[in-house]
Amino acid sequence: MARIVILGAGISGHTAALHLKRKLKNRHEIVVVSPNSNWNWIPSNIWVGVGKMSKNQVIFPLRPIYKRKGIEFRQAKATALWPEGDENSPQGAVDIVYTDPERLGDEERLTYDFLINATGPKLNFAATPGLGPDGNSLSVCTAQHAEETSKEFDKIVEALKRGERKTLVVGVGHGTCTCEGAAFEYTFNVEHELRERNVRDLAEVVYLTNEYDLGDFGVGGMQFAQRGFVTSSKMWTESLFRERNVRAILGAHVERVDPGVIYYEQLDGTKESLPFDFAMLLPPFRGADLKAFNSSGEDITSELFAPNGFLRVDADYTAKSYDSWTAEDWPKTYQSQSYENLFGIGIAFAPPHPISQPRTSPNGTLIAPAPPRTGMPSGVMGRIVAQSIADRLLSKSDAPLHKASMANMGAACIASAGASLKNGSAAAMTMYPIVPDFKRFPESGRDLKETTGEIGLGAHWTKLLLHYLFIYKAKARPLWFLIPE
Amino acid sequence: MDNSAIKIATAPLPTRKTLKSRKNIPFQIVRFAVFNIRMLKMVTRAHR
Repeated sequence: MARIVILGAGISGHTAALHLKRKLKNRHEIVVVSPNSNWNWIPSNIWVGVGKMSKNQVIFPLRPIYKRKGIEFRQAKATALWPEGDENSPQGAVDIVYTDPERLGDEERLTYDFLINATGPKLNFAATPGLGPDGNSLSVCTAQHAEETSKEFDKIVEALKRGERKTLVVGVGHGTCTCEGAAFEYTFNVEHELRERNVRDLAEVVYLTNEYDLGDFGVGGMQFAQRGFVTSSKMWTESLFRERNVRAILGAHVERVDPGVIYYEQLDGTKESLPFDFAMLLPPFRGADLKAFNSSGEDITSELFAPNGFLRVDADYTAKSYDSWTAEDWPKTYQSQSYENLFGIGIAFAPPHPISQPRTSPNGTLIAPAPPRTGMPSGVMGRIVAQSIADRLLSKSDAPLHKASMANMGAACIASAGASLKNGSAAAMTMYPIVPDFKRFPESGRDLKETTGEIGLGAHWTKLLLHYLFIYKAKARPLWFLIPE
Repeated sequence: MDNSAIKIATAPLPTRKTLKSRKNIPFQIVRFAVFNIRMLKMVTRAHR
């Protein structure tokens, strides 16, 4: 009996665990290691952050699901990998430290036959002094953060009702952040909610971003074919900002957040400050703090992981200029280049290069949106890696690996405001592929027919539908596997 | 110099008809169906 250990129970790790169990049944052991006891549908944290949903509507406990499915669960954090084993055994192993209150602080070396690293990001608030809930700004990255942010938002609304003027800033808290789409979505949820509560006129809403243009979203923007014209996400997003009277500050690297003031540098090198009453700024991401050692105990962390802590997989990591990269550089199987029983999926794998053009200010500050790895591709990666491992365990040990490159995958991004059926509005975008492929689509790198954008109530219904559908799937309810990632 | 304010100020505004259509239930039911079929097609392609 082989043991497959999955580090992380987010969208990619949890999807991989469920698919592995479905394929392998009880013939092999599946162990999920996650420091969190709950699963979180992160896209809906945006609604928690404005009080439209409660925290409990976006999370559920993992333990009962895993118990029902026969998957081992360890509430613990991985600290070190031993891919060649240690002095006692040649079998790969991972060191874990329990975060489970019943075994808090206990350490264990867990051996594996296959390891999937799906640890997701470390929220790197420390990259910017004063950033984050322990500093002077707010976050919606976790359900807990979103709930706290909602309470602060309520206080601002109360102050606006008393006739006070307030400035609300939403955006990203560092020049190398990703997830601009989530910041954009939260901006328009805040704006929508202020109108709903009849206090919009006294509030200034500011979107603070590292994007060079509005509508970049860390994917270099998109082009759409609409009504006989090729138009851009830039024009489309600028129109939305004008319509909703939201101010934007572009190309910004936040240097520090003091109480009530954000200090930032812009691409032209100017340094500015922005007073605020409410600031939700997303942090930059880095990989989980995992070390790696060979069987002699020598540190091989830099061999396995990129400097940003993400796992190197089957991508082309050759250093090259932005203009020289191609869609072919992106990973397809998510297998480690060093160890064939090690995989990295979701946010845990190291992207080979940025999708948006990186830029540097005259002071040498890098202002470059990092590539997003959203729920849809993360789920697909979880599924194909599960299929690859199942094939190798059930048929041949060298069975070909399944492939799913982000240069061959599409994604939908729905920025939805409001949470009711009649009263919402959403900006919805689809893009294919996520990573532009200029060989296949010379015009814009993407398929103009399948890359689209629209605004309306219908898109908002889609976001609601996805919320309920993906929570149903994650709970492994009957026929869950029919719902595509 | 950040010229985002100028870019936003000169961006096209939706007409009253467009704004109405974004909330029009029968029209949005059609858009909902179109968007979901498109999304499903895209997802199916990724699952091949």
